[in-house]
Amino acid sequence: MRPAAFALAGILAIASGAPAASPPAVGTGIEAPRGAQLSGPELDKRTEDIGALLRCPVCQGLSVADSPATMARNMKAEVREKLAKGYDQEQILAYFERSYGEFVRLDPPMRGVNWLVWFGPLAVLLAGGAVIAWVMRRSRRQAGATEPREVAIAAPADSDPPSRDTVPADPRLAAAVRRVRMLAYGWPQGVPPKAAS
Amino acid sequence: MATARPSRINGKVVIAGLAITLPLLGVLVANLGRDPHSVRSPLIGRPAPAFSLVPVGGGAPLSLENLRGKPVVINFWATWCVPCFEEHAALTAAARGLPDVQFLGIVYEDEEARTQDFLQQRPSPYPSLIDSEGKAAIAYGVFGVPETFFIDGNGRIVDKHVGPMTRSTIAALATKAKEGAR
Repeated sequence: MRPAAFALAGILAIASGAPAASPPAVGTGIEAPRGAQLSGPELDKRTEDIGALLRCPVCQGLSVADSPATMARNMKAEVREKLAKGYDQEQILAYFERSYGEFVRLDPPMRGVNWLVWFGPLAVLLAGGAVIAWVMRRSRRQAGATEPREVAIAAPADSDPPSRDTVPADPRLAAAVRRVRMLAYGWPQGVPPKAAS
Repeated sequence: MATARPSRINGKVVIAGLAITLPLLGVLVANLGRDPHSVRSPLIGRPAPAFSLVPVGGGAPLSLENLRGKPVVINFWATWCVPCFEEHAALTAAARGLPDVQFLGIVYEDEEARTQDFLQQRPSPYPSLIDSEGKAAIAYGVFGVPETFFIDGNGRIVDKHVGPMTRSTIAALATKAKEGAR
């Protein structure tokens, strides 16, 4: 769902012409750190985790954690510094979002028009399924309604075969059947004229 | 069996088709004049991120706070960037022609020695600051160079230009920054 979600996020971002929702004002010196100050292996791990959620702005679809670009390394260092100071994940993501916009998040946050990005494809899938089910049910019902007429053309299994001069009720079909009989047998009634009663 | 008339338009199909195509058409029309490669900066209209950076060649750190009250043009550039090289002449000319606007360069992902050489060969009337850890570039949401921010006297970003500028573009956007504080 992720690539589809991003394609749609792109369309929506262009459509709205502005960030979907204004990111909260969080950054150095603006809001106090909300988490615990990290260090050691936990700091390394969390730096990688958050780096994986951030898009490298100068790369093609790479996360900050995966990119070797200087910009990505600088951003990773910034993440590390903020984690060491005690900023939590959401504060750090919001900090980058403040300067780069929602674009910098690899997972569009579930808010505003982004609900459409996350659940739109599922909704479209369900709607498509419902349409297919409705069409199938309707055609089955119609087939049921027209069955007696078809019986007149195709021989029913539980009764005597229809007489050879039977034609469909539809006048156009009946005319077509007569034309075929004329071509095949040379007479339109299905039976030779003298045998017809 | 019902007789199908091929010329008849199915209203439901038309409505469904319009429901799908009209919103897409709306997106297309609404964005016809926009560059699909540019991501709109969320910083426009917001306070410019504060920084305190040392000028190329050393000296006391220069902070944006100290420039409050004067329109500021911040140009992110690098010596390895060919468009920046082309833009340099326009920027220096504009800075000389607009003494009431403070121009600043912020060096992006470059070595100080190379920057110093560059500026010795092509003197600039305004200072360029070294952003060695890229913090200012990140705070301003820089994607590449050259990128230029126009800040009004109240410290609010009024516009951002991506790519090299001509002298007339610089003058027009600097005027916008001057008017922004009024």
